[in-house]
Amino acid sequence: MRETMKNIFRKFLPVQIVGFAILIALSWTAFAQQPAPATASQGEINQQLLDRIAELEKEVKQLRQATNQSSIQTPTPPAPAPAPLPEPVAIVEITQANVVADRLKLNFFGDTGYQIGHFYGPANTFEFGEFDMFATARLSEHVSALGEILFTSSTDNSVGVDVERLLLKYRADDYFAASIGRIHTDIGYYNTAFHRGDYFQTTIGRPVMYEFDDQGGFLPLQDLGVVLEGKVPSGKLGLNYVFEVTNGRAYGINAEPAQNSTDGNNSKAVNLNMSAKPEWVPGLAVGFSVRHDYLSDVNNLRVSETIPVFYAVYNSAKYEWLNEAMVVRHARPVGPVYHTTAFYTQFSRRFGAYRPYFRYSYVNAPENDPIYGDPTEIQEVGRVNGPTVGMRYDFNDHAAFKLQYDREGTTDTKSINGGSGQFAFTF
Amino acid sequence: MKTIQTILLLMLGILVFGGAIEFATEPVEAATGDPIVVIVNGANPVDDLSMGELKKLFMSDRSKWDTGKAVAPVIVVAGPAERTAFLKIVCGMNDADFSKYFLQAAFTGKSATPPREVPSSQGVKSVVGSSPGAIGFVKAGDFHGDGSEGAIKAVKVDGLTAGDSSYKLKM
Repeated sequence: MRETMKNIFRKFLPVQIVGFAILIALSWTAFAQQPAPATASQGEINQQLLDRIAELEKEVKQLRQATNQSSIQTPTPPAPAPAPLPEPVAIVEITQANVVADRLKLNFFGDTGYQIGHFYGPANTFEFGEFDMFATARLSEHVSALGEILFTSSTDNSVGVDVERLLLKYRADDYFAASIGRIHTDIGYYNTAFHRGDYFQTTIGRPVMYEFDDQGGFLPLQDLGVVLEGKVPSGKLGLNYVFEVTNGRAYGINAEPAQNSTDGNNSKAVNLNMSAKPEWVPGLAVGFSVRHDYLSDVNNLRVSETIPVFYAVYNSAKYEWLNEAMVVRHARPVGPVYHTTAFYTQFSRRFGAYRPYFRYSYVNAPENDPIYGDPTEIQEVGRVNGPTVGMRYDFNDHAAFKLQYDREGTTDTKSINGGSGQFAFTF
Repeated sequence: MKTIQTILLLMLGILVFGGAIEFATEPVEAATGDPIVVIVNGANPVDDLSMGELKKLFMSDRSKWDTGKAVAPVIVVAGPAERTAFLKIVCGMNDADFSKYFLQAAFTGKSATPPREVPSSQGVKSVVGSSPGAIGFVKAGDFHGDGSEGAIKAVKVDGLTAGDSSYKLKM
């Protein structure tokens, strides 16, 4: 019997075990697939989930608020502002302006117009005058930079580009400043009062004695070197000084007047300009300048050049009266001394937006002057004189129209006339 | 001689012609006579300035006070009568001349910085009160002078206060 039972177990036990395991697995799977017990309905579950979402959203909101508060907090809490706290930005700006470097400033100047008469050329013509790009920048409290690039038309219809000025300036205070670079020389008054940019000057064009040396003028008006300038402690007299040491000008036909990188000789030009702007006559400036240089002519002969200029100008909102006179003295080491004389007077008065003006210019250079008298070596100067009459109308403080008549007499030719209109503007 | 005569005639013509234009175009301005008060920071020891000194300060012709502080002029933006009157009396200019002056000064290489502009008299007072080197001006009605406006004080002009009858700085 016992043997029989053992045989039965041996025969059926594996089957039973496997069947039991299958039964357990199926039962478990069936249990897992059964619906939720009746203790939690679907609506309750949904509500629980919604509550949980709301709870999480609340936590996120609290965290965000905490983050924002920490980001706007400053080390010191803001001082209670007075009720009508005005222009807080302006207060910040003025502090910055006194301490931090200014931004780059950029201005453009241009002029264009129409010319008639032999004074300007063989035919009546529209003319593009100049396009001037002018930039200044405060590099630090005491150091600034200035750059000016000029595009100007020539009589051969080409447009030339010229680095007109490039200066690095150190200004200690009102009494001392030093600059180095390419400059407009401080000869007399006009050259540094108006520079390029016809918009600023009342008339169309400059007085004959101040025509730029790279456009037929005879004075050294552009140069490279060092400039020292400032006020002289003088109370209400208002004395100012400018002292320049420069390369001096090149000499010879077709030579670039400003010696930009190569000086023709070792001697440097020096120029001193002293002026007074007395406080008791606002707008008045009187002064003089003296410049000396040695020029080397084409034969390598040294010519001493001395240029004294005297000026008295008056500028007010209504009146402008400019007067300058000069002598250019040329002398070789041996031989006679030659004097070229020149002057101009310019008067204008403003009437609202209109400013009628008048100018008379005169230049007379000896025919045998070693610098101005030899047409094979340099453009001959001779005698040039005549009046200019015109009217300026300012549309606003950025644009003006000028209408002008010129008459010019020269040594060897009959007097010529010209009329011109010009729009001059800045932006 | 003939040239001189021509010059004189032309100059006379300019004056006559220009006078006629001016007569036809010059606007008529009514002066109310309200004084303009020049104010500086309370820490500034200056008490009296001449018209010439004021002009230098506002036209960037003087860069430092005697104390060594940088001069920082502040001015209300174009429009109010006190600005127009101040520029006319002190600088001899209108707004267009004033802006052109600084543009030309920059063009000639001068270190001229135009005054800081703010929208209102209140702004002028705030800036002057917060900057030791600042100087500005407001019309007398906008200046109380009782210390309630912060660290600012009025200065005399040519030795006169705004209340004096011969005070020149008036609208």
